[in-house]
Amino acid sequence: MAKRAPRILGIDAGGTMTDTFLIDEEGRFIVGKAQTTAYDESVGFLASMEDGLKYWDLKLEEGIGTLRTGIYSGTAMLNRMLERKGRRVGLIVSGGMEDYLRTERGIQTYLGYSYSDRLHLVTHHHNEPLVPRNRIFGVRGRIDVFGKEAIPLYEKEVYSAVETLLDRDAESIVVCLLFSYKNGAHEKRIGEIAREVMAKRGKELPIYLSSELYPVRQDMPRLNSTLMEAYAAEPSRTSLTNVRKCVRDHGGRFDLRVMASHGGTISMDARELARTMISGPIGGVIGARYLGAQIGVKHLACSDIGGTSFDLALVTEGEFEITQTPDIARFLLSMPLVRIDSVGAGTGSFVRVNPTSNRIEVGPDSAGARIGMCWEKSGVNTVSITDCNVVLGYINPDFFLGGEITLDRQRAIDAVEVQIAKPLGLDVYKAAQGVIELFEDSLKSSLLGKILGQGYTPASYNLLSYGGGGPLHVAGYSDGLAFDDVLVPAWAPGFSAFGCACGDYEYRFDKTLDLALLPKTPAEDRQALVAAINGAWAQLRAEVEREFAKSDVPVDRVGYRPAVRMLYYGQLNALEVASPKQQLESAEDLNLLIKGFEELYSRIYGLGAKTPQFGYTIAGVVMSGSTEVEKPILPREPLAGPDDWKDLAVKGSRPVYYRSAWHEATLVDLEKLPAGSDIPGPAVVESPSSTMFVPPGRRVRLDEHRIFHMSVRAAAQLKLAAA
Amino acid sequence: MPETYDKKTIADLLDAKLGWPELHEMMSSYKDPDRFDKYISVLQDRAPWPEQILLPLGPHLFIVKKSNGDIVTKSTSGFEFGDYRENWKLKARIFVRDTDEKYEEIYPKLSHAHPEWMELREFYDPLDGRLLYVEAVPPGYPIVHNFEPDLQGFYEEWLGRPL
Repeated sequence: MAKRAPRILGIDAGGTMTDTFLIDEEGRFIVGKAQTTAYDESVGFLASMEDGLKYWDLKLEEGIGTLRTGIYSGTAMLNRMLERKGRRVGLIVSGGMEDYLRTERGIQTYLGYSYSDRLHLVTHHHNEPLVPRNRIFGVRGRIDVFGKEAIPLYEKEVYSAVETLLDRDAESIVVCLLFSYKNGAHEKRIGEIAREVMAKRGKELPIYLSSELYPVRQDMPRLNSTLMEAYAAEPSRTSLTNVRKCVRDHGGRFDLRVMASHGGTISMDARELARTMISGPIGGVIGARYLGAQIGVKHLACSDIGGTSFDLALVTEGEFEITQTPDIARFLLSMPLVRIDSVGAGTGSFVRVNPTSNRIEVGPDSAGARIGMCWEKSGVNTVSITDCNVVLGYINPDFFLGGEITLDRQRAIDAVEVQIAKPLGLDVYKAAQGVIELFEDSLKSSLLGKILGQGYTPASYNLLSYGGGGPLHVAGYSDGLAFDDVLVPAWAPGFSAFGCACGDYEYRFDKTLDLALLPKTPAEDRQALVAAINGAWAQLRAEVEREFAKSDVPVDRVGYRPAVRMLYYGQLNALEVASPKQQLESAEDLNLLIKGFEELYSRIYGLGAKTPQFGYTIAGVVMSGSTEVEKPILPREPLAGPDDWKDLAVKGSRPVYYRSAWHEATLVDLEKLPAGSDIPGPAVVESPSSTMFVPPGRRVRLDEHRIFHMSVRAAAQLKLAAA
Repeated sequence: MPETYDKKTIADLLDAKLGWPELHEMMSSYKDPDRFDKYISVLQDRAPWPEQILLPLGPHLFIVKKSNGDIVTKSTSGFEFGDYRENWKLKARIFVRDTDEKYEEIYPKLSHAHPEWMELREFYDPLDGRLLYVEAVPPGYPIVHNFEPDLQGFYEEWLGRPL
């Protein structure tokens, strides 16, 4: 066999393990694992890469040398936030707002909580402030909501605030004033004064102005985002630079990039680095968009089942949705994030019988990487979803993680018996089946809710299922939903990492505007609107150019995508409308934006909901700029006959419990399965990192790209089958 | 998430010594079935008198069973307020805050209720002077009888044992 040449590298440095994913030019990939080294992430990264390369019989230098592109995503920055181990930040805010961080927004006291904890006030809890009160200073002065100076800045107060912050050993200074997104003059002046004071004292601290970094409405998220840059992102830059240096030292000739919340990858030199903190779960959605573009599917419902959560996202017309104020680590932020809805239910979720209501409850806590009671060493003493899967025969106890861990089926059976079956007065298999049905039904209803809530039906979408638990449960949670097709990539467990490598090299900047475009707006005012939009685009475009310049990407290789955020005048939620032109040339061009908005609005809310008589508001502008980078190639294999697999890939058979009866399921080895195979249920397709269950009455076909297509069973067919 | 907690955890809960993550998990979990008994046993250990605690009414006020079978309200200091079905407050020492001066002993100026609209009644232990309870009512309102527990029903129907 010729030596493989890895082309694309994806690194996922988690809290405990660092995974590296290497993809070669034929789309084959391997996964390397090593312990994360918090003191110097590059050590863990190298070990993980060596571990992966050994499967291809390559040495580190050989492996790094052929790489064309590398994407890094890690949780170090997030952990720095969670553990409150960031920089000593000093904060200057509008006078009277000094207690921002202590009073917070009410929502931050219960973000990330389970439904019952959100309902109950006693469980609400304030976050420990990132900056203590004695390093927060208010200065008087006011820019009003229209951006006009209402009260001049009291400069004396600024001088004394900066002096005191320096006395108190602040390591950086963050400035966030009211309405600075409209007019940053006061913030700018504070920056100048701070530099002047520092120069006098022979110090040089970084200064972060919210009007420069996040010029968007809503001061709590704006403050949080700016703080996060100073508090957590800046220290991370150092460790990222170490990893990059390490790659270069070993002969790497590519620029290591980082996955950012807006769905593109950016350089680690980027000014806005905080947005790389929340990149974890979005990889799959980026991968889905890319996969869709490659195989010609425009509408994908993405579902990712991991150990702790079920993540849902929609790719519509080839684009994912963006949310403007996401939250992370219980902070509201003001940065674009690929929209993902997360349900606290995964394969590791704990299952209990509620002693009060005597009903089965799944989650919200989970065994996560500790699997469940079927693995005695884990020390877990509550039944998990995986335990039920083991009881029902779906998971092979001797081939979990390719046999790395041996599971104890009897222990799972006993546990389900004691904890679930007996309290409910059920047979152990019926009880386990009940749990799985409940679990899959709840996934199904969140999936359906998400699609219907956006004004679509399942028939408009292809369901894409991935994550470690996706292939196992996809049959269950897609049952009865009339999707156009159900897709499961053979590399489902590594799909998120694959997705990270599919990201464009893209910067995106947002800016708030408040422009009313009413039916009565006269022509000269329309002309002013055009100038304002063009001006804002030009400003953001300059920022994109500046960021690309840091990585020596020439301007002519950058493609720009200007957009506006628009809503009906008086409504609350803006939609992002791409502009068909790079610049608006006349007032007539505003109609192009209106047309785009109306189309998008009626697609989501229905034709009858349109209310053009109110006029429109342009709430903000967006500028994205991207440049071509090497992306993974989908595998392409010759198609074998639909039944050839019977001779090549059958490992035997195993009894599985499904719909209150035992069935003998064919066991199939995924690694040996040729493209073109058509497998009827009941069957279990096994690989070291995942298990796919095909129930009786459904079938899967493996296509040339190694993507499974599962037959769809709509509700009507389900009723027929039951009758 | 354990089904029951050890006595030390319950004692720490009582003393507000648990960390937030632990406390949060306790609040979010199902109620541990033996919580009442463990809680009572922690209180019993700390009580300076031998009578059996049947129900706590406050941090320093309890309904107890005397050796002669009488059920009375009793405070940590050992003062007995009489039969548990009677309002114990009537036997306490009462201090009423009903003027601006009295309010301003404990509130900043202009940050308290108007004395013509609301008064504060503080109920003190006659033996050791500990503040046992405070009620806020309009002037002239009768002393509130907070709670007359159905002890027998609670023990027999909820705890499943005789009083």
